[in-house]
Amino acid sequence: MEPVDAVRLNAAVMAVGQVRDRQAFQELFDHFAPRVKGYLMRLGAGNAVAEDLAQEALLTVWRKAALFDPAKASASTWIFTIARNLRIDAIRKERRPDLDPNDPALLPQAERGADEGMYWAAAEGRLKVALAELPREQAKIIELSFLAEKPHSTIASELGLPLGTVKSRIRLAMARLRLALGDGV
Amino acid sequence: MTITHHPGEELLLSYASGAADEGVALLVASHVALCAQCRLMVAGAEAAGGSVLANVPPVALNHNAYQSILARLDAPAAEIVRGANLVGNVPAPLQAYIGSDYDLVPWRHIVDGLSTYPLPTKGGTRARLIRAAPGAGVAVHTHRGEEWTLVLTGSFSDATGNYRPGDVQSTTPALEHRPTADPGPVCINLAVTDAPLVFRGLLPKIVGKIFGF
Repeated sequence: MEPVDAVRLNAAVMAVGQVRDRQAFQELFDHFAPRVKGYLMRLGAGNAVAEDLAQEALLTVWRKAALFDPAKASASTWIFTIARNLRIDAIRKERRPDLDPNDPALLPQAERGADEGMYWAAAEGRLKVALAELPREQAKIIELSFLAEKPHSTIASELGLPLGTVKSRIRLAMARLRLALGDGV
Repeated sequence: MTITHHPGEELLLSYASGAADEGVALLVASHVALCAQCRLMVAGAEAAGGSVLANVPPVALNHNAYQSILARLDAPAAEIVRGANLVGNVPAPLQAYIGSDYDLVPWRHIVDGLSTYPLPTKGGTRARLIRAAPGAGVAVHTHRGEEWTLVLTGSFSDATGNYRPGDVQSTTPALEHRPTADPGPVCINLAVTDAPLVFRGLLPKIVGKIFGF
């Protein structure tokens, strides 16, 4: 995604949050709904479930846009967490009809301090660069962690690697991301 | 609060990606509520998720999807809560399960100084609170799988070191240990295991079986 694109998408979420801008919402819908659906289908959701959750995710964007803070995360990161939580919610409903409405995964993250938020805004750009520059075998593991969402032991056996190798690649990749985030981490 | 033992990065990643099951998610979320450093790592991993989302091949929605969403935009939504007003010293994610006061948990007595409360989590792991008076501890055991223990109050020690509030001890199957609460405040832990513990000795084995360790 081009940086200018990310800035425009952030601004669109802000416009929805502040003035209920429907044109901005349509832009977000057109951009993100097919990606959320694609992401969910990559995780193994059927077409109908992915369609429903993608619609639900964008409806959540409309309802919670006022909580979006571009100093803390980009629009795509924020919408990723919405899609992730809706999916966790849906899976747990399947397995447990008496779902606890206070599921911890649905609670808002603890607030970051203002300093941390500003710090984070600067760090996210560096992080994206670091992600793009990860060695292929580390990037593959990170991507599989999100797109296959399998236990690391399963990823290991599918790639024909020892579990220890998968774990050490995760550690190496996360260490690089940590470096990109700066010394404060 | 000085936290010196953090969850492994693969655990933070599995939480951020959504792959972690309920017990692990509860433990990581509770640690992250207490630990600014890991909060930043989780935010970093979530940004990786945002990047994955930005680059995933899009799949078109039904042709009338936008229209059907439009029809729902004006429906009154549940009120948005901006960060709950939390009281007490129970981390927010755990409050959803037990409320805000450890004294009100329906503890199940195991032996003198030691009690437990199993948490109703689903998935492949089991989560429980363990409450140990100073000097009390869980009998010598090894593990069939992994065990993660988050200290909530007090502190405990075993041969590997000393664990204080916010610390997460991660053990591998090989480790045989007898974690024991240190002198001072009562030690309350959140323990998550992905396989039953293996106790040494007949009595601990029976007790472990009864209490589902």
